[in-house]
Amino acid sequence: MADIYLVGVGGQGIITASRIIGDAAILAGKNVLLSETHGMAQRGGSVMCTARIGDVYSPLIPDGQADVILSLELLEALRAVCKASKNTVVASSVEKMIPLSVSTQKLKYPTLEEVRREVTEIAGEFVSIEASKLAGEAGVPMSSNIVMVGALAGTGRTNLDRKHFEKAIEMNIARNVRENLAAFSKGFDAVSRRNQT
Amino acid sequence: MDRVLDAAPGSKVLLLGNEAIARGALEAGIAVATTYPGTPASEIGDTLARVAKDAGIYFEYSTNEMVATEFAIGAAASGVRALVSMKHVGLNVAADALLTFAYTGTRGGFVLVTADDPSCHSSQNEQDNRYYALLGGIPLLEPSSPQECYQMTKEAFALSEKLELPVILRTTTRVSHVRGPVVVGEIVSGPKKKDFVKDPKRFVTVPAVARARHLILLERLREASKLADGSALNRVYKIGTGGRSGIITSSAAFNYVMDAAKVLGMSTDVLKLGFSHPLPTRLIAEFLRTHDSVAVVEELEPILETSIRAVAQHEGLKTKILGKADGAFPQAYEFDQAIVASGLVKAFGLRGEIAKTVSVDLQNLPVRPPVLCAGCPHSATYYAVNKATNRKAIFASDIGCYTLGVAPPYSAADLLVCMGSSVGTAGGLAKVNDQPVIAFIGDSTFFHAGIPGLINAVHHGHKFLLMILDNRTTAMTGHQPHPGSDKGPSCCDITSVSIEEVVKGCGVKWLKVVDPYDIKTTTDTVKQALTQNGVSVIIARRECALITKRDQKGAILKKQYIDQEVCKKCRTCVDKFQCPAISSVDKVQTIDDASCAGCGACAQVCPYKAIKEAR
Repeated sequence: MADIYLVGVGGQGIITASRIIGDAAILAGKNVLLSETHGMAQRGGSVMCTARIGDVYSPLIPDGQADVILSLELLEALRAVCKASKNTVVASSVEKMIPLSVSTQKLKYPTLEEVRREVTEIAGEFVSIEASKLAGEAGVPMSSNIVMVGALAGTGRTNLDRKHFEKAIEMNIARNVRENLAAFSKGFDAVSRRNQT
Repeated sequence: MDRVLDAAPGSKVLLLGNEAIARGALEAGIAVATTYPGTPASEIGDTLARVAKDAGIYFEYSTNEMVATEFAIGAAASGVRALVSMKHVGLNVAADALLTFAYTGTRGGFVLVTADDPSCHSSQNEQDNRYYALLGGIPLLEPSSPQECYQMTKEAFALSEKLELPVILRTTTRVSHVRGPVVVGEIVSGPKKKDFVKDPKRFVTVPAVARARHLILLERLREASKLADGSALNRVYKIGTGGRSGIITSSAAFNYVMDAAKVLGMSTDVLKLGFSHPLPTRLIAEFLRTHDSVAVVEELEPILETSIRAVAQHEGLKTKILGKADGAFPQAYEFDQAIVASGLVKAFGLRGEIAKTVSVDLQNLPVRPPVLCAGCPHSATYYAVNKATNRKAIFASDIGCYTLGVAPPYSAADLLVCMGSSVGTAGGLAKVNDQPVIAFIGDSTFFHAGIPGLINAVHHGHKFLLMILDNRTTAMTGHQPHPGSDKGPSCCDITSVSIEEVVKGCGVKWLKVVDPYDIKTTTDTVKQALTQNGVSVIIARRECALITKRDQKGAILKKQYIDQEVCKKCRTCVDKFQCPAISSVDKVQTIDDASCAGCGACAQVCPYKAIKEAR
């Protein structure tokens, strides 16, 4: 079993990311269920997808049970901690998308260190990833989502092979496949080598 | 290669519930499919629109759900198979057609998909459309997973032809928008043409015919109940060694039951109803007879629960029936595993340990509700309207992205009930209020349900301003075409219908077309319109910014930046205007270059001309 909770902001490509995870699971011969946010919430609001790999019936992840929380936006990682426990790895992009409420209600957007501190009060581990920068280095600046799929694979918590993810990327990405595979690889390395630096 | 159309027979593919319905319909050999887009049903139509040409079927995005249903009725009454899909509230629009079609019955298989939205993820209510099956005497199938979406769609067509009745396939958000493995079969091309054989004593529902047909419908429902009793879609899942306590469930609730029962370590029998109306009464009676207590687990209304209590009463059974009546399960919002586990603990008096949720104080986190996008023309329109009216107007709103204007700073929605309601309610508001009344309606919604209201307003001389927010697409549901579009689905040529011509044809005398990106002209035009007697119409026309961005037509637009040396930090650009690309952090307002759509509206809003075109 692996429960992956994906969060981000509408329009960041979170559905594509979850579909890649789903295809990778099927390629590995495993059962998988994904749930997705469509419609009104996609207009720049907080969005979430789930990916549950293994023998379950329901696609929704109960609170405290995510193995990995994958966040495409920093603040959203913090909003997702209800799904975390000490067994959870939270991998978040450092990208900040300032919600309008910060401007209009004068609320404070937390710093990376504040997010790290609050997340690790509940989760086992917090890994930050410069997804946007890595995607740019790979030549596909819009592919932060693919970097983050790489980050997920790099956690080793999905029990899926790297090759299944790579094949799934080829199935879901129409253009710049080579660059996207490089983006995946950069995300993978950023997480799998995190304790070596 | 298309994932839905080209998947080889016997292969396992990852499909969205809605895609699985489309695949099932293709394998069932449909000739026609229609829809009006609506979350969570949209991807059924979007998939069929994409593959229609290659699959050799006819597909259309109809003007509204009523027309979509009527079109499908015409085809199915002739003898071909027809699929019509819609969101739950769409069936309110289509109900007039559907309920009488149950009387005439069908020749070719007719399946209507209603996608319900418990918890109102993207809807104005969470009505339970299983009631339509009861109301109309229409067989009802309820899948729980993508595999079942696929399989039950095929079965629904067979059932429809066997009973000669329309069949409702009812999903929910957590069925339609779940992606999972589906093992597909072979796509078989069915007949695309049939000669309509005249039979007015069946198909023309004058009272004498309707009276006779009602009896036939009731007879067919008795037959359907027997089919439900023997249907493989209704089956018992034994958990552990089974037991004297049982659970009856359907749809998404089944999934939570299976996971919760496992977590709770229960030993029980689960009767899953996939073919749930008419009720398989013998099967249920037998289940009640062999269990001492039975929990009924269903989202929203206690429809199964009430009917199952009736079965028990009719059969003289003393089985304890547990559900919403005793407060074990809630009647509002969608379920999840925790809600169902807690309900089962209450219902059966279990001493199970419910996993405690982590209590995290997230109250101070900045909220992120959906907003109008950067470059959204509606944003500029609302700014102009607020300026023109000094916020002293009543706003009748409608269904679409522009409903998001309800939030500050625009507060541009005061009354909203359903598709097209802006126009109708504006008349009533104007009649009994002295404030000016402005109705906002999108282009797709105008075609869908705005036109009768406009004719009514012209005819009766109602005094209000109707603003048709024409972004050239059905934006909220995923940019589907509408009658005003130039390009339709893959199968077919379409003719664009002019909104101006329709408005004039309704008898409107005062009509202007503005570009909302030109805020001054829009503001002046609104002021002018409000001085008119009777109904005035402004079409605020500008393509959805997401399409402009997607098609990279952005070259015509210029990205903006805030010149901090000129900026007086007056906050007009964040307090009176709203754009996700503009933020104010530590009292400094900036424009995020990556998000900026280059519409230039903010530059017109800034009183100090501090917002400039980036070079």
